[in-house]
Amino acid sequence: MAENRKWAMVIDLDRCTGCQACVVACQAENNIPVNEEKDFLSRRAKQWIRIDRVWEGTWPNVKARFIPVLCQHCENAPCEPVCPVYATYHNSQGLNVQVYNRCVGTRYCANNCPYQVRFFNFHDPEWPGTLHNQLNPDVTIRSRGIMEKCTFCVQRIRRAERTIEGRDGEKVNDQSLKAGNFMPACVNACPTDTLTFGDINDPNSDVSRRARDPRHYKLLEHIGTSPSVIYLKKVDPNAPKEEAH
Amino acid sequence: MQEGKILGYKTINRDLLRGLFENPVKYWAIVMFLGLVVFIAVFAAGFMVNRGIGVTGLNRPVFWGFFITNFVFWIGISHAGVMLSAILRLSKAEWRRPATRAAEVLTIFSLMTAVLMPFIHTGRPWRLMYWVFPYDFSRGIWPDIRSPLVWDPSAVNTYLLSSILFVFIALVPDLAVVRDRSSGIRRIAYSVLSLGWRGTPRQWKLQAIAGILLSALILPVFVSVHSIVSWDFGMAVSVNSWHSTIFAPYFVIGAVHSGVSGVVTVMIFMRWLFGWEDYVRREHIDALGRLLIVIAVAWFYFFAMEFLFGIYGQEGDELATRSLQMFSAPWGWLFLAFIITSFFFPVPLWLFRNVRRSFLWMTITTISVNIGMWLERFIIIVPGLARKQVFTQSWYTYAPSPIEIMIIIGTFAMVLMLFLLFAKIFPLIPLFDIKEGQILTDEIKVGRRKVPAVIRED
Amino acid sequence: MKLSRRDFLRLASFSTLGAVACNFFDEREFVSQSPVQLPEDLVTGRDNWYATLSRQCIETEGIVVRVMEGRAKKVQGNPQYPTNLGGHSLRSEAGLQALYHPERIAGPLLRQGPRGTGRYAPISWNEALDHLRGHLQAQADRSRVLTVTGPLRGSMAHLVGSFADAYGARHVAFQPMEDAAYDHVMKDVLGQQTAPTFDFKNANYVLSFGADFLGTWKAPVQFSKGYGEFRQGLGRQRRGTLVQVDPWFSLTAANADTWVPIDPGKEGILALSIAHVIISEGLVPQERINQLTGGQGASALNAYAPEIIAQSLGVPPLHGSEPHEVIREMARDFAHNSPRSIAIGGANPAAHTNGAFNLSAIFALNFLVGSVGAEGGVVFNPPAPVPELAKTVPAASTGDWHRTVADISNGRTGVVLFRGVNPVNDLPADIGLRQTLNRDDIFVASFSSFLDETTEMADLVLPERAPMEDWGDDVPSPGPGFEVIGMQQPVVNPLPGMNPMGFADVLLQLSREMGLDGATPLNMPTYHHLLQDQARKIHALNRGSVQDADFNSFWNALLQQGGWWDRDATADASPSMPNIAEIASRDNELKIAGPTGGNTFNLIPFQTVSLADGSGANLPWLQSSSDPLTTVAWTTWVEISSLVADAIGLREGDFVRVEGANGRSFVAQIYHHPAVPPNVVGIPVGQGHTASLRYSKGRGENPLHIIGLPLEEETQSLAWAGTRVRIVPTGENSPIPKFEGIVPAFVPNQEEAIVKITRG
Ligand SMILES: Nc1nc2c(c(=O)[nH]1)N[C@H]1C(S)=C(S)[C@@H](COP(=O)(O)OP(=O)(O)OC[C@H]3O[C@@H](n4cnc5c(=O)[nH]c(N)nc54)[C@H](O)[C@@H]3O)O[C@H]1N2
Ligand code: SF4
Ligand code: SF4
Ligand code: SF4
Ligand code: SF4
Ligand code: SF4
Repeated sequence: MAENRKWAMVIDLDRCTGCQACVVACQAENNIPVNEEKDFLSRRAKQWIRIDRVWEGTWPNVKARFIPVLCQHCENAPCEPVCPVYATYHNSQGLNVQVYNRCVGTRYCANNCPYQVRFFNFHDPEWPGTLHNQLNPDVTIRSRGIMEKCTFCVQRIRRAERTIEGRDGEKVNDQSLKAGNFMPACVNACPTDTLTFGDINDPNSDVSRRARDPRHYKLLEHIGTSPSVIYLKKVDPNAPKEEAH
Repeated sequence: MQEGKILGYKTINRDLLRGLFENPVKYWAIVMFLGLVVFIAVFAAGFMVNRGIGVTGLNRPVFWGFFITNFVFWIGISHAGVMLSAILRLSKAEWRRPATRAAEVLTIFSLMTAVLMPFIHTGRPWRLMYWVFPYDFSRGIWPDIRSPLVWDPSAVNTYLLSSILFVFIALVPDLAVVRDRSSGIRRIAYSVLSLGWRGTPRQWKLQAIAGILLSALILPVFVSVHSIVSWDFGMAVSVNSWHSTIFAPYFVIGAVHSGVSGVVTVMIFMRWLFGWEDYVRREHIDALGRLLIVIAVAWFYFFAMEFLFGIYGQEGDELATRSLQMFSAPWGWLFLAFIITSFFFPVPLWLFRNVRRSFLWMTITTISVNIGMWLERFIIIVPGLARKQVFTQSWYTYAPSPIEIMIIIGTFAMVLMLFLLFAKIFPLIPLFDIKEGQILTDEIKVGRRKVPAVIRED
Repeated sequence: MKLSRRDFLRLASFSTLGAVACNFFDEREFVSQSPVQLPEDLVTGRDNWYATLSRQCIETEGIVVRVMEGRAKKVQGNPQYPTNLGGHSLRSEAGLQALYHPERIAGPLLRQGPRGTGRYAPISWNEALDHLRGHLQAQADRSRVLTVTGPLRGSMAHLVGSFADAYGARHVAFQPMEDAAYDHVMKDVLGQQTAPTFDFKNANYVLSFGADFLGTWKAPVQFSKGYGEFRQGLGRQRRGTLVQVDPWFSLTAANADTWVPIDPGKEGILALSIAHVIISEGLVPQERINQLTGGQGASALNAYAPEIIAQSLGVPPLHGSEPHEVIREMARDFAHNSPRSIAIGGANPAAHTNGAFNLSAIFALNFLVGSVGAEGGVVFNPPAPVPELAKTVPAASTGDWHRTVADISNGRTGVVLFRGVNPVNDLPADIGLRQTLNRDDIFVASFSSFLDETTEMADLVLPERAPMEDWGDDVPSPGPGFEVIGMQQPVVNPLPGMNPMGFADVLLQLSREMGLDGATPLNMPTYHHLLQDQARKIHALNRGSVQDADFNSFWNALLQQGGWWDRDATADASPSMPNIAEIASRDNELKIAGPTGGNTFNLIPFQTVSLADGSGANLPWLQSSSDPLTTVAWTTWVEISSLVADAIGLREGDFVRVEGANGRSFVAQIYHHPAVPPNVVGIPVGQGHTASLRYSKGRGENPLHIIGLPLEEETQSLAWAGTRVRIVPTGENSPIPKFEGIVPAFVPNQEEAIVKITRG
């Protein structure tokens, strides 16, 4: 195994506009089937990264806050120990990985994920007609009965390791990932640069630098999941009071 | 103190084996009807496996619903058997005798039904061998023993095996009686099953020791099963109202509550169906009614504590779940129904001797308990998922689909049908136990005193 | 228990053995990690990323497309392309679905049944072109031929214009919710032929009037790139402040530090009020004030003092401040941040009968604080360096379209060619294009890839290549402030069985066959040649991002980079000076059409980030993207203030009849919106398609059909925000398809809030 890498993401809530570009980018990269109307009505729509909108206040002093939520790749992931078949586990680079072939579909992991980022294939996916030509050959298509979720675009990391480290003297790092279009799809798409991905074990990486911002916090820290996704607080000069951290 | 007639051994044999050798129309009509319901449920389950879990009402975030509720419910019912047989046998409660086998058999069939639930509810049931049988040695892939879903099958299977053994040991002398009264192929079958039982003192002694030993050994299993089932929820740190340290004893006592009630219902049903007026007597249901009061009150204490602990911390998301459980439709109504049917309706009634001794009222109250206990599991499982953590945008609700309802009804029909079919093949009330019970009450006059006719089991 | 020495030794040796044995195990045995790694089920094929342009919206984005074994797999922003800088909108991603859509038309079709019934027979390209040429040559009066395209820029504008001129046809560009008023004000107030851009990246204060620049207005990706830096750019002095004045809670209003709700159409008055404060309080240099007011100073604007007009604007008290205080504070902040403050206006304020007045007043504010041409201000764009590429064909105003359609119905048009537009669906129903086209004495050809509403009316369908299969170029508008020419190249071949032909190539072939090929560009054999010809002119400039002595190398580098740009070639900022006093003296009377009385609301039709104007409504990714604020997908909803809905007893998901200004109405579901002002309802455009395309047919409604034809008075652009509608409950209810679940009244306590807020 290559160096001691730990992948992490920083999400700057003060930049995010809620534009949904990341959601569709993930959809396209990861062969997520089209969410049809019935999926919304039965609440089974899949968005590996979703933009939660939180209302605050009442009209006219009303605010809508946006927060992109994806798998937090928890170091101490509650989804992992409950899986009876080791279909979801931690790899040595800090990723919470999902092995589709092993999953038997108990959905226990989804119950125990506090971030609600696990999605179950209630039905077989469909790509009518010629639409399947777009499917990414690097990503397994999940049949019904399987749990799925954000993988930090592991297929891109793997491809990067093979491609970049196949060349002489080059290393997988922020720069080489960016240059080779190996950043996760959502990170690449984001028009406001809300999302930063990289190796948090490398103190010089963008992600490490941004994680040192004093606005940093993690979601639901009190559960003890120790997520790999670090949020930077939304700034609102009109906020009623400074919030206790 | 025993009420009722003193019956001759012949009458006992004839009465209690009537089910095996006679074919009342009533019996077959009921079995056929149940069979039809089971058939529909099997069809529904097949449809679900064929089409995927999408045919249920499950969604994100409510990934578990009717099936898991039903799983916990049947596991609960299964606690009746051991509770009655083992504990009462060890504590030498005389009135247990007609109830023991019915209870044990109910244990077995409800366990079998229970394990079906998590099996068919998985997304890919055909892949479950990964989980239960770690066959994939070559690549060193094993089940994750940290998962409560690995503990579950271990505990349930242990319980199932020991219960079967338990029933069988008690059945051997009766099988010999049946063997002696049957002919042809049935005789051969019963001969094999009765393991050459001749009723020698040595055999009786071994049988009695085995029964008592198993009673003692099965008790820890009994406690462990529902504790482990409760950990399916208790281990889920992320779900408010599941993640509770009191769950294990709370679930065990709840299981006993519903299980014993279930046994009472079934006993009264058998009495009606097979005309066992002389064997299932008012004194029996009276005694079970008293036991139920104790169990119900203990259960209620745990229920109240669990709730208190939940709200005591005043955590926002926990409070959200609890307020959903109690105050918003439809959960609030279900909660009200649950608490009334499982406690406030039956328990005060049981305080009246007339109710405890009325077959009709005991049927009504015990069924009521089980309606309540089914709802209890539902109200624990679903609202917790529906209000998971503070991601309010992901909060949702759940309504079962017709497929789920059909399967759930089918499980009730299945347990009852298997029970009736069992009664066709094996005596449901232990002959020897009844006879032994009678002997214990036989008295001999020694001088002016009356002394028991035989020495007790110990 | 007694422990003998022998026992003790035995125990001790066992423990030692145990300890040693344990040390032999790899420590990983104790790590809770599965022994299996993720199956490296990677395909070993090679992938390539090709740079091209995304054509899914008017704002073309520079993209790179991942191609593997001849199939396009993924769209990503081209990090080098100067407008979108690697970011992209969700719409450009859906270009892949336009490419591989199961309902794409495979080859030319000839109408069989009556017009509009959608019965066609496939024919060959030769037959199809013969057919078209026959009809073109049959026209004695060549101005009877009408060419309809979207707004065009770059070589396509040059080519279509030249073709129309050479042949003698009329050429009109169509765009749903066209922005003629904006274009007019850019010329009138800013003196600009090209659309300016805004330096959000370096701005400190942005005052936006209705312009949903983070959502769908103009170039949202380019603006979003700046916005990210505006908020948290590295090395910024301080975080920028965004104030959105908007009659409706747009995505930009949702992201603003302060959202100032206002009655629709009053934005210009508010802008003048701000100007009054700045001038009367002397917040900017006096000579500038004199220049801009013709020496009149504050007196010209006295009628607009906040204290006088604030009450009439419908601005509610905000954070405890009265409306006039809010306006004063905005004015002071705006001035204090000069010149790093920008005032922009668009969408709602432009779409009123007084739209040009509104925009003029808003954009004039930039002159007052001196941010025009300054860093962190309004940035002008130079025209393209090659004259042939500088040509643009802007969208005609709705008033023009009214006349054009009248021309068809008067029989003054014999042939109509539609390319890349769907006016039959998108023009307001009152114009009646569908009925007008339904006659026997005209010949209609469509170049669309899909049997949309317009194509259904066509006699001949000549399916175009998808953008990813075709050549092209673009001069982005708005550009990034310097010269940019984007290049579009085919990244894949059409799928087997698909037989489309590029629109430009059709025009070139027709020109050849009709003898119109006297001069460039019509004498080029193919569009590819034409683009290379243009590229030679760029090559000859010998400056900018791509330079090479050898043209072939230059051409390859051009395609590889996705275009050419020269950061030093900026516009010379010599704008005309507007006269604020004159603007203030204009008649700004606002005319609102439609019903009045109980349960009537001002209708705000708006574009969502996914469907925008509805041109991609048949692409499933766009239909299935949930709206950022309501999370609704796949349908049309009516955003109504939850306060109002509660008061009149409407629950979420209730079907209401929306009765418009022209007697038309439709039924849609309501969404309880906590942020929509009580006097308006918002309804997204983009749905309401009738053509039989599986993902769009029969979904939702198009609110533009019920507004009648209110026009902006100066420019005749559609005043789509200027009507009222009546909301009538129907008593029916069903769940609304949305991503959010049941969001309860119960508010979780603050310590656990998932979005944490800080004040600075
Ligand atoms: N590291 C360490 N381990 C110890 C000890 C120690 O000091 N340090 N002490 C030992 C001792 S003495 C003890 S008693 C045990 C205690 O061990 P536990 O009983 O496990 O104690 P806690 O971790 O305090 O609480 C368990 C969980 O109960 C949840 N909880 C809190 N309130 C409620 C409620 O009202 N209802 C429900 N259902 N759940 C609630 C909390 O969220 C917490 O996650 O730990 C023992 N282990
Ligand atoms: S966010 Fe959820 S799915 Fe992801 S690692 Fe954590 S618990 Fe598991
Ligand atoms: S759904 Fe799959 S991954 Fe999740 S716990 Fe069950 S088997 Fe494991
Ligand atoms: S590739 Fe096939 S055999 Fe290998 S692990 Fe996956 S499913 Fe099993
Ligand atoms: S990292 Fe990849 S898989 Fe995860 S949300 Fe982003 S695009 Fe999707
Ligand atoms: S793409 Fe970026 S700005 Fe848009 S919603 Fe996603 S994270 Fe937010």
